[in-house]
Amino acid sequence: MSRLSLERLSKRFGTSVAVDELDLTIQQGELVALLGPSGCGKTTTLRMVAGFLPPTSGRVLFDAEDVTRQPAYKRATGMVFQSYALFPHMTAADNVGFGLEMRGLNAAECKARIDEALKLVRLPHLADRLPRQLSGGQQQRVALARALVINPRIFLLDEPLSNLDAKLRSEVRLEIRALQQRLGLTTLMVTHDREEALTMADRLVVMEGGRVRQIGTPQQLYDTPKDAFVADFVGRCNILSGRRESEVQFRTDSGLALPVDSMADECKDADAFALRPERITLLTGGTDGVQGRLKAVTYMGPQTEYVVAVGEETLVVIRQTPGAGEPLAALKPEDTVSLQWDRRAPRLVPQTSA
Amino acid sequence: MKTMALLVVPACLLVLALLVGPMILMFRISLNQFSPTQLMVQAFTPDNYIKAATDPYYQQIIVSTLGIALFCTLLTLVLAFPAAYWLGRIESRWKSLAVIATLFPLLVGNVVRSAGWMALFSRGGLINVTLLKLGIISEPLEIMYTPKAVIIGIIAVVLPYMILTIASVIESIPRDLEDAAANLGASGLRVFWRVILPLSAPGVAAGSILVFVLCMNTYATAVLLGGPKFKMMAPAVYDQFVRGNNWPMGATLAFMLLAVTMAFTVFGSVAFARRYRTA
Repeated sequence: MSRLSLERLSKRFGTSVAVDELDLTIQQGELVALLGPSGCGKTTTLRMVAGFLPPTSGRVLFDAEDVTRQPAYKRATGMVFQSYALFPHMTAADNVGFGLEMRGLNAAECKARIDEALKLVRLPHLADRLPRQLSGGQQQRVALARALVINPRIFLLDEPLSNLDAKLRSEVRLEIRALQQRLGLTTLMVTHDREEALTMADRLVVMEGGRVRQIGTPQQLYDTPKDAFVADFVGRCNILSGRRESEVQFRTDSGLALPVDSMADECKDADAFALRPERITLLTGGTDGVQGRLKAVTYMGPQTEYVVAVGEETLVVIRQTPGAGEPLAALKPEDTVSLQWDRRAPRLVPQTSA
Repeated sequence: MKTMALLVVPACLLVLALLVGPMILMFRISLNQFSPTQLMVQAFTPDNYIKAATDPYYQQIIVSTLGIALFCTLLTLVLAFPAAYWLGRIESRWKSLAVIATLFPLLVGNVVRSAGWMALFSRGGLINVTLLKLGIISEPLEIMYTPKAVIIGIIAVVLPYMILTIASVIESIPRDLEDAAANLGASGLRVFWRVILPLSAPGVAAGSILVFVLCMNTYATAVLLGGPKFKMMAPAVYDQFVRGNNWPMGATLAFMLLAVTMAFTVFGSVAFARRYRTA
């Protein structure tokens, strides 16, 4: 396994800039996720690391070796494609063995390593099946084995879970993460799914328009986002525009006064109030805190979402679903409620970053 | 379902009346005898088939037709594949233009096209005049009325069929598979041999069969570019019917042509299917 470094990596297609001077280092054994909406440049970055796309400028390094001009087939990256990209005319075992065969290993050694890799993903009994005879989850594990069997220098995951159903997704997520940690794989993952990114990655890179918005651990990005875009992209967030009015108060454009901590500012001229829905406490009736009128209640199983109109603003609150008899259980739209939060919960961030 | 099935009835009737019917009739004629004075004599004999299979004159025609067809099919395949790959992989607005350009040669009829080739190939034709003027050759090349001319002429006609058939299959091969192969260490050539070629096998098979059948049945190109001495089966059938008035032999040759074409087609597809069963 190698360390991966991207130095001022850029890619332009004609006049449009897909990736703009990206700097990133992934330590050996670290899993970094590129997170962003479609068109943010995350897939382009991954393809440049794999060698499928030549960068317009900048460098890609594996350890100290500059691989920027190396063709894809010489780079020894192991990639799991979003579509899995299994060869449909080869059995699971032949798919896994393809990379070994290209490396000129003899049949006996190939066989041993294929068996080992299939055991790693718990599929040794399906070695002779063709991809079309495997379920989506099984195909994914074959793709995983195929990428890992070559002992790649860098492990690449392109939206690895997007083609799986919800139940399987959380299972495979844990499995990949466990494998990645056990084998110490230097991993670059691309995803647009924040849950996937938050749960799997050591560090996240939030991208937008070809640029990095913020790099940090999942907790850092979730709790102290640098700007409104990051706040909204890594999780649900109430974002209200306005200005700090005093040490302890934020005034929204519509005139609403909201309590904040004096240390909440992300930068000098923060113009947005960002507060996670689960950090707000909801009380029936009452007079403490911020008064509001309940607009809608959405039951989501373990949690319930409450939409509350406060003055001209709308805030979303997420609470654990109340049991029968608890005060919140009786809430209906148009009831008066009050909202409270720890002063340290809200963050003041810039609406758009420079 | 039942009413849906009725929809194929008109087409089936047409095929039955205009193809199967005449073929049965032809087969019956092929079993008749020929006499120079009475032309066709009613009989029920395999004599014509025996003659076509043993007479060196007919053997020669069958062998050269088969040879030309196989050679043209192979050469067409080699020439078509790169173009088909390109056509199957380009995106953007150029694609439909490229398809039209590929089909363009087919907008000209066989006879007109062959006349064009004649102007190009003959002793005083464009190719010879140009090469002579440039001093590359001192004697005019003999292209016209040789198998070379026929092969060039045939390939020019069948190439679009091969290209479009293979391109449509290549289009359906996900590009990810090529990336995946490269990612696993396969160079361009190995990606081609291990991934592209096996997966485009159905297109190669379909295109080759189509082209082979077209080559076997070449008529105008063979007559106009091959000249009087060069014989392929379709012109031979015509000769028997029209020039020799020998309907029984004409019908026999027609069936031989059909039989040889079908035998090779079936053999080819079975062998191919076995080789690439999983594709």
